Amino acid sequence: MNLKLIACEILYREICFTVARALHRVDVEFLPKGLHDLGAQRMRSDIQAAIDRVPADHYEAILIGYGLCGNGLAGVQARSLPLVIPRVHDCIGLFFGDRRRYWEYFQDHPGTYFKTTGWIERGTGLDQLGERAVLSRHGFGVSREELARRYGEDNAAYLAEVLSSYSRNYTRLAFIEMGVEPDDRFERTVAEEARERGLSFEKIHGSLRLFVKLVNGEWDPDEFLVVPPGHRIVARYDEAIMDVEPSS
Amino acid sequence: MADLKALYEAILTGDRQAAVSLTQQALDEGVDPQLLINEAMIPAMNEAGRRFECEEYFVPELLLAARAMKGALELIRPLLSRTGAKPIGRVVIGTVKGDLHDIGKNLVASMLEGGGFEVIDLGADVPAEKFVEAVREKQPDLVCMSALLTVTMPAMKTTIEALKAAGLRDRVKIMVGGAPVTEEYARQIGADGYAENASRAVIAAKQLLAA
Repeated sequence: MNLKLIACEILYREICFTVARALHRVDVEFLPKGLHDLGAQRMRSDIQAAIDRVPADHYEAILIGYGLCGNGLAGVQARSLPLVIPRVHDCIGLFFGDRRRYWEYFQDHPGTYFKTTGWIERGTGLDQLGERAVLSRHGFGVSREELARRYGEDNAAYLAEVLSSYSRNYTRLAFIEMGVEPDDRFERTVAEEARERGLSFEKIHGSLRLFVKLVNGEWDPDEFLVVPPGHRIVARYDEAIMDVEPSS
Repeated sequence: MADLKALYEAILTGDRQAAVSLTQQALDEGVDPQLLINEAMIPAMNEAGRRFECEEYFVPELLLAARAMKGALELIRPLLSRTGAKPIGRVVIGTVKGDLHDIGKNLVASMLEGGGFEVIDLGADVPAEKFVEAVREKQPDLVCMSALLTVTMPAMKTTIEALKAAGLRDRVKIMVGGAPVTEEYARQIGADGYAENASRAVIAAKQLLAA
């Protein structure tokens, strides 16, 4: 089969690794990381645009290297080629290799922030996004100094407190090792960050299982959603995570 | 003579110090506190909300306006309660179990406070039982729940079911929000209201309590 894969760049190393050994010919297009921060509507239209750029006569299916991603994939439509998407909430489910394993971990350790090679080497900010200006106006990724320049010292202290409050809710930093790392440099980076931020550190063994199944065409319905032409993705708030419905 | 225009501007531009001192000055002059609220503060917050809707204002400007409003209200509230006036409603708010994201929830809480509500903030990662307990003890008019992840959205449903099981569901209105949450989902799980952003949350909350 000739397959097209449209994926978030956060999965870069995992996808290159698995595509190299795929049973099929897979062409890959990566989209900038952090689309979910633009809101579901913008994310959906960016992904739909990438799907609509794929020439229909070259491929048998379009693989989607995303999860539901904050409903950013809900409403995405298959035109003349079927879409294949793993049934995961987000990339962390992909890295765990099994959405149920992720769910169990998530329930037991709600205060965990996950890191992988992509989350480390592809920038901590949102530099890849053209809309950086808008996000920065919302105060995301803006330094304390910059806040003080914009809003004055008293206001900056307040804003820094409110806008960073979420990071104080985390208690644990987890590095998910995927087996595509050259050595332990990524793991060391995360362990160091955990030490600096006073968080506990954990190494989790991830799995390429879902990546391999995706590129090899092993799309069993429990783990992958196949969206037939003329249908779109809908969110389901249960174990299936997503489903299809006719586009019109 | 109280400078209502200056107070309006101070709140709109998020100048808390000015908002507080202008309010104090007006109260010293014997201005009716209700007049300050109706003629300066609420119009300022409405304008801040309007600017947010059309992207002239962003999250920081909205937070600062709400903070200035809250500062001014703190001076006025004791006077109002002396005359028997009450906050327009009591709200219990929290991010649901498993979800630690609270910027949106904090923004909604600030906007509701700025809008004259009494807000009891339960924080993030709030289990259903804690919502139930808060409803039983604090007797709010409204429960607001937030989630940023589709993984944690079902906890909103669980919380509503827990309120039902405790026989408390009909005593409160329930409103939900957060980036992935939709109006359709709110309906599906039996919530009474939904708002797309913090500015609309205040409008929706007022409508729910008026209904």
